[in-house]
Amino acid sequence: MSNAREDTDERTDRQRTDRDTSDSLITTEVQTDATVGERSAPTAVAAHDLDVYYGDEQAIDDVSMEIPEKRVTALIGPSGCGKSTFLRCINRMNDMIDVCRVEGDVTFGGKNVYDDDVDPVALRRKIGMVFQKPNPFPKSIRDNVAYGLEIQGYSGDIDARVEEALKGAALWEEVNDQLDSSGLDLSGGQQQRLCIARAIAPDPEVILMDEPTSALDPVAASKIEDLIDDLAEEYTVIIVTHNMQQAARISDRTAVFLTGGQLVEYDNTTKIFEDPEHERVEDYITGKFG
Amino acid sequence: MPRNHYRRRLEALREAVLEMSALVGDRYELAIEAAIDGDEALGQRVIDGDDDVNERYLAIEEECVALHALQQPVASDLRLVTASFKIITDLERVGDLATNLAAYGSNDGLHPAMEFRGLAESAGDMLADAMTAYETGDVDACHRIAARDEDLDERCRRASQAVLRHLVETDRARDRSSEALAEGLDTVSSGLLAVRDVERVGDHAVNVAARTLYMIENDDELLY
Repeated sequence: MSNAREDTDERTDRQRTDRDTSDSLITTEVQTDATVGERSAPTAVAAHDLDVYYGDEQAIDDVSMEIPEKRVTALIGPSGCGKSTFLRCINRMNDMIDVCRVEGDVTFGGKNVYDDDVDPVALRRKIGMVFQKPNPFPKSIRDNVAYGLEIQGYSGDIDARVEEALKGAALWEEVNDQLDSSGLDLSGGQQQRLCIARAIAPDPEVILMDEPTSALDPVAASKIEDLIDDLAEEYTVIIVTHNMQQAARISDRTAVFLTGGQLVEYDNTTKIFEDPEHERVEDYITGKFG
Repeated sequence: MPRNHYRRRLEALREAVLEMSALVGDRYELAIEAAIDGDEALGQRVIDGDDDVNERYLAIEEECVALHALQQPVASDLRLVTASFKIITDLERVGDLATNLAAYGSNDGLHPAMEFRGLAESAGDMLADAMTAYETGDVDACHRIAARDEDLDERCRRASQAVLRHLVETDRARDRSSEALAEGLDTVSSGLLAVRDVERVGDHAVNVAARTLYMIENDDELLY
């Protein structure tokens, strides 16, 4: 037990839940700490009475939730339940869809991101995004990572930031001798980590991930999962996944969206996967429907 | 309903656990008879039959591991598999205790002052009731079974005193022949061990009730 305490203390910013298998034998102490950690974690992003429509069709139905800072929050649910729509509301990616209409608030740092004085481009520097399929630019590895910094007119040492971002994305060791090679020459898993490096280079506070491993083989996917675990030391990670086991493995909190864009249950991941409150959620995660 | 094959496997798991409990219950009842009557042949049947219990235990354990590895059960499914995994360990131990009881009665049977039949049957009833709770999802029954354990423990304590009283009375009778002492010690040791084993059967019944309560309601109150 004393070892467990020391291990937990080393990670004071982010006390993990018992999903961390290395702690699974000492759950009593760690779970208590994790619970305290959950209560004390400040809110990074919040939605209040959020409705989203695509034309006449409602995609999100009156969703309110608070997403804790420096935690991994998973959004799960069947296809068409609105989880990706919700994710894209957070950094206003839905602005690019003409028929999309958003009502209600999404706050980041206490500010409604849909206020008129919010610059969506500046918002996306603070809330980065990683997509389902790796989408590196047809540029060198260095330029891929430096792209966001150059756009924002960063005047510091760009090479140092590129190195830092590639290290943060667990890619530096594999590419540090080929920074001028095309990002498109990397494997699928490396390309996705390159996209993560690109997302974290501008030093965001939140990283949105929309099924980031669904196009990857299991080994590449497991590297991304490990990386997500590490990223949550510094960033708030919000991930949409169809893979419920992945949500169970990597997230601290899980939100279950079901048909009609309703957020049916949102709780600690352990609670959701061991004893969900709602029968519909139980039926969904046990595979009785969906 | 999707995952029909998976759901059938879960139901088969539940039925296999119930069948194992029925087998263990039968062995335990035979062991009680063997212990009370000193029926060596019956006792040997119980001892030989323990292999059946162990085989079922290993088969169910293997199925639980396979369900975890291949189906990744969650929520109530996870609790069913996890609780079953633990419950079969308790059942296997009750099977072992039945072989102990069967062996203790190999001389002249247990001393009548122990009122062993009522004691042993109470523990067996607790186990059977716990398994019924597992089968039917009866939360109240789980709590009632746990509460009954105190009474069983007290009766076991009194039975142990009755056995020791027998030893003292033998001594008072001044029958200190080596044969009488050896017989007395056999009676006392087998009696005390039998009582201890019955008390453990009660503990295993409470374990089953506790795991069942966890399975039904994710409530770990009885686990501590």
